[in-house]
Amino acid sequence: MLLYTLRRILIMIPIMVMISVVVFALALAMPGDALSGQIDPANSDPEYIEEMRERLGLNDPVHVQYGRWMAGVVQWDFGRSFVHRMDVTEVIGQRLPNTILLSVLSLIITYILAFTMGRYAGRHPYTPGDYGIQGINYLMLAIPSFVAAIFAIFFFSFQLGWFPATGSVGSGVTAGTFEYYLSRLHHAALPALVLGGLTTASYTQFLRNDIIESSQKDYVRTARAKGTTENNIYNKHILRNSIIPIVTLFGFDIASIIGGAVIIETVFAYRGIGELLISSIDRRDSSVVVAVTLMLSVATLVGNLIADLVYGVVDPRIRVE
Amino acid sequence: MSAIDTKKAEELEKKAKKQSPWAIARRKLFKNKLAMISLIFLVVVTILAYLAPVIAPFDPSRVDIINRNSPPGGDYLLGTDNAGRDVWTSLLYGARTSLTIGFVCMFAVVTIATIIGSISGFYGGWVDAVLMRFTDFIMNFPFLVFVIVLASIFREAGVWALIAVLSVLSWTGAARVVRSKTMSEKENEYVMAAISIGGTPFKVIRKHVLPNVMTTIIVQATLLLAVMIVAETALSFLGFGVPSGTPSWGNMMQEARQPHVIRNAWWIWVPPGLAITFTILAINFIGEGIKDAFNPKSLR
Repeated sequence: MLLYTLRRILIMIPIMVMISVVVFALALAMPGDALSGQIDPANSDPEYIEEMRERLGLNDPVHVQYGRWMAGVVQWDFGRSFVHRMDVTEVIGQRLPNTILLSVLSLIITYILAFTMGRYAGRHPYTPGDYGIQGINYLMLAIPSFVAAIFAIFFFSFQLGWFPATGSVGSGVTAGTFEYYLSRLHHAALPALVLGGLTTASYTQFLRNDIIESSQKDYVRTARAKGTTENNIYNKHILRNSIIPIVTLFGFDIASIIGGAVIIETVFAYRGIGELLISSIDRRDSSVVVAVTLMLSVATLVGNLIADLVYGVVDPRIRVE
Repeated sequence: MSAIDTKKAEELEKKAKKQSPWAIARRKLFKNKLAMISLIFLVVVTILAYLAPVIAPFDPSRVDIINRNSPPGGDYLLGTDNAGRDVWTSLLYGARTSLTIGFVCMFAVVTIATIIGSISGFYGGWVDAVLMRFTDFIMNFPFLVFVIVLASIFREAGVWALIAVLSVLSWTGAARVVRSKTMSEKENEYVMAAISIGGTPFKVIRKHVLPNVMTTIIVQATLLLAVMIVAETALSFLGFGVPSGTPSWGNMMQEARQPHVIRNAWWIWVPPGLAITFTILAINFIGEGIKDAFNPKSLR
């Protein structure tokens, strides 16, 4: 297992270097100064831009610029944000907790929903309840996240008034108090419900099919022959086997959560990393865009790594190549 | 009664034996009610979309300043939007934009995926290794983030740049499927025979391998059409897709980024929202139907 882990991590290093080259190439194509964020994006005077470019070394050869940028990145220095007038790492640091809260909440919601629906559908296949769940699955797969988000805001925020429509924290609550954390949770609940609800479909389907398949296996027949109650068979014998593949899906899910969060955060004006990415592109704050893109790429890569490692733990055959 | 049934079944069996796999699949597909209803729906939407200049009651860029944000009824079947444009007209023209981009992207992606997948699977060895490492590399990118960043860089270049960006980043999954199907197809004797009588690799792939991989490609294409339409509408919704003057379903939804539109003017965002959802739903059902029809194990 240790060897497998080390090998997987070693494979990741060249991929990370290549991704950084791609992100760097994108940065050169962006408006303004995407690498250090010192040029005012609103000032379009060519003389000013040329002078600043010369001073910041943006006219140096490409590989020199790349080396300088990477040297900064490995020291956790992504330059400054011109719009926010502070270090990029600081801007991202302010937003990161919100996105983590949203992701964790949505994951919890996904697992609870998928677990409940998949278990029911798997135990009672080809019944009206199962068909109902399949119908919901089809709808969830078809409805784009931003459409679902807008319908959710309309019903839950405006018609029913249960959740706030936008923002990540209520105004007038002091940071650190109990009300403050409650308010943040309240603001994150609806976006998390949409984000988590829409990713449920594949999990539910997976769990359902796995339970149906397991219920015809020999060990289940043995358990029945011994007089084990149906409840025990489904809850103890089958579920324990079917839950393992579901857990490994988690790593792969990080990529889809990142993509989903960008859209959902923008719809809800929820102040997280995804909303930061979109608003920074709109304000031509390129240094932030580059940093966020690089971070989300690394997060996706790490997600895939975790998925592979967990899979290796669960299924020993994967470890032998 | 039962004697007639057995006779009928025998006749059907004879008929089935004579039919080509394609004819069997078509027959199965026509029997699948959900897929047929979806197909009819998609065809109707497509016809309406491309007849937009004929059917639409107004010019898509016509602005009625007095009747802005007016609810459905009167002159305007589905009301007007924030700028005073007719929502029904925008919906028709928007369908044309969104479907066209979806179809063009689908063809581009399927072409890239087929070329890379079939070459990789047919040659194997180092060609396969290089192409698949490259595929893995592209797969490692968070799709939506890169599409957004790339689309924002090429925003001035218009719709074709958008199509290129979407296509370049989304062929990986389909290429892998084509590759694995090609690899298993390559092992058959008829491919060896074709090579042994001196067929060039290009000819063998085109004439012998691809027709047998076709079913897989068609299923992938349907799924991709849905993915591409969602990607286009999502990008346009965020403001990085189709230029804002052109009506598209995503651009129509963009107005709902303001909470007061969501609260007070449902007729602006409900029609495009439902149009997108039902179109995707229909495409998914058609895809499932095709997959089922080509599956010899399914008994439907």
